[in-house]
Amino acid sequence: MIDVVGFLISWLTFLGIYGILAISLNFESGTSGVTNFGKAFFYGLGAYIGASLTVYLFLLLNNIDVSKVSPFDVEGIVYLGQFATKNPLLNIGLFILSLLLAFIVAGIVGYLLSYPIIRVGPAFVGFTLLSTGELFRIFVLHYKPLGESKGIMSIPHPFAWIPNPTVRTALYLAVVLGFLALTYFVFNRIYNSPLGRTLRAVRDDEVAALCLGKHVPKLKATVLFIGSGFAGIAGVLMAFYLGSISPTYDMIGPPITFNVWAMIILGGMGNLTGSILGAIIFTFLDRLLIFVTPNLGITVFSPDYIRGFLVGFLIVAVLLFRPQGILKEGKIETLAWKVYEEEVKGEKSG
Amino acid sequence: MRKVANILEVNSVTKTFGGIVALQDVSINVPERGVVGLIGPNGSGKTTLFNVVSGFYVPDKGEVWYHNGGNSERIDGLNPNEVFAKGIVRTFQIPRLFKSLTVLENLLLTPYGQKGEHPMKAINPETWQEEEKALAKKAIELLKRFGLVEYAHVKVSELSGAHMKLVETIRGLMTPARVFLLDEPAAGVEATAAHNLFRLVRELNANGYTFLIVEHRIEVLMQYVDYVYVLHNGQLLAEGKPDEVVSDKRVIEAYIGDANA
Repeated sequence: MIDVVGFLISWLTFLGIYGILAISLNFESGTSGVTNFGKAFFYGLGAYIGASLTVYLFLLLNNIDVSKVSPFDVEGIVYLGQFATKNPLLNIGLFILSLLLAFIVAGIVGYLLSYPIIRVGPAFVGFTLLSTGELFRIFVLHYKPLGESKGIMSIPHPFAWIPNPTVRTALYLAVVLGFLALTYFVFNRIYNSPLGRTLRAVRDDEVAALCLGKHVPKLKATVLFIGSGFAGIAGVLMAFYLGSISPTYDMIGPPITFNVWAMIILGGMGNLTGSILGAIIFTFLDRLLIFVTPNLGITVFSPDYIRGFLVGFLIVAVLLFRPQGILKEGKIETLAWKVYEEEVKGEKSG
Repeated sequence: MRKVANILEVNSVTKTFGGIVALQDVSINVPERGVVGLIGPNGSGKTTLFNVVSGFYVPDKGEVWYHNGGNSERIDGLNPNEVFAKGIVRTFQIPRLFKSLTVLENLLLTPYGQKGEHPMKAINPETWQEEEKALAKKAIELLKRFGLVEYAHVKVSELSGAHMKLVETIRGLMTPARVFLLDEPAAGVEATAAHNLFRLVRELNANGYTFLIVEHRIEVLMQYVDYVYVLHNGQLLAEGKPDEVVSDKRVIEAYIGDANA
C-alpha cells in the first residue's frame, strides 16, 4: 500500500527544492546564456556550508569540545541526536544562519567563477563549471573536517522538537514552498525588467551587446551570483530535509545538474513558469517511481535504473517532438507594452 | 565645409595580423555633421578600420581621437562598450539584432546605463518605471516616424533584411550618440530600400548626426556622401569629393584590377 500523505509531502518537498534549482538554472542558461553544467556544485556547496556549520555550532553551543568529539563520529552523532529536540530556537536559528551563509558564499563563488569563463564559448563554460563541481566533490570526499566519505549525518532538523513526524515534515514543506515562491518572485521580477532584457540580448549576440555599451562580463558575474546563491539555498533545504549529506555522485554530483537540465528543457528554455512545470512533471515521476518500483518485484536489475532510463527517454522525446519545450519563451513584460497600447490606441481615436 | 571641426580623427593607424598588414598608416578625418564614405575593394581594410574605431581592435600604431564638444579624448584601446558610452554607435554588415526580442524591445534595451539594469533595482519596478515609460514613448515615436510601428510586437528574426537594417540604424537614435558607423547598410537590400535608408541618413544628418559609412554599392553611396576615402590593400589610395574620386584613375584601376583577379 502506498502512503499517500507521505508521498505528497515527499514529492512536494522535492518539487520545491528542484523548482528553485530549475528556475535559477533557467534564468542563467535559458535567459542569460551562461551554460551552467555546475549547478550541482553550487547546490552541494550550499548543502555543505549549511550542514557543517550547523553540526559544529550545534555541538559547540551545547558545550561540547569539537576538537575531541567529532560531529562525524558515533559519539558526536549520538550527542547531535540527543540535543536536537531540546532547544527549538537554536535549531531554527542555525537553519536561518545556514541559509544566509549558503546564499552569500555560493553567490560569491559563482561570481568569482565568472572570471575564468568570460573569454570562452558556451561549451567550455559548461565544462569549466562541471569540472569545478567534481573537483569540489572529490575534495570533500577526502577532507577530514567535512567528514570525508562518511559525509555529515544527523543534521539537526529545524523542527526536530515537534514530536509528530507528519506535522514536522509538513511544516518544513511549507518553508520549502515559501522559498520556491520567493525564488519565482525574484527571478520573475528580474526577467521582466530592463536587466532581463539586457541579459537576453547578451545571450542572443554578445558582440552586439558589447557594441551597445553593455558590460557583458559584469552581467554574467551578476547572473552567476544570483543563480548560485539560490542554488546554495536549495542545497541547504535538501541537507536539512534529508538530515544527512554525503559527497556521493548521486547526491551532489553531475546527475543533479542534468536532472535540472532535463526539467528546464522539458518546461521550455527561457520560460520561468515552464521550469516549475518541468520540475512538477519530473519530480512527480521520480518520486512516484521511488515509491512504486520497490513494489514491482523486479529482481533481475535494480529498479532504480528505471528512473535513470526515463529521464533520458523524456529528454530525447521532448527534443524530438517539441524542441522548444512545453512553454515558449515570452515577451519581456514591462510597462512599455502598456505605453504602446495607449499610444497606438490614441493614434486611432485621434 | 573645410572650416568645420573634426569630430573623429584617425591618425596614422597601422594594424597587422601576424604577417598581414591590414591597415598601414591610415588617416581619416570625419568632420562634425559630415557624411563620409569609406570605399575599397574586398580585403582593403575597411572593416578593420571600423573595428579599430569601435574598440574591437587595438591599433599597433597610431591614434584615434574623438572630439565631442570642447572635449577631446583618445579612444583607441577602449573597450567596445566604452566607445559606445562616448557616443559612437556602429552597425554591422549583417545586422546584429537580438533575434529573440521584439522590435520594440530591441530599441528599449539600447540606452546606456538604465536604472533597471541594476539587479537590486530590477527587482523593485518602482525605481525604473518612470525611465521605462519615457524610453517606451521615445521608441514608439521613432517607430512611428520610420513606419515600423506595426512591427513593434514582431520578433526581429521575422523581419525582412531591409527592415533589420532600418531597426539597427534607428536603434542608435535611442541614445545620445552623435556618430554613426554604418557597415554596408545597403548590402543585400533592394535598390528602393537602399535609397530610403540613405535618405534617412541625410535626414538624420540634417538633425546633427555624423556618419561614417562603409559601402560596396558605390553608385548608391556617391549620391549621398560629402566626402569619400578609398582604401586599397590597407593603404589610403585616394580621398576627395565623390565626383573627384569616381574619376580618379587609381581608384578605377584598383576596382577593375580587383574584378580581374
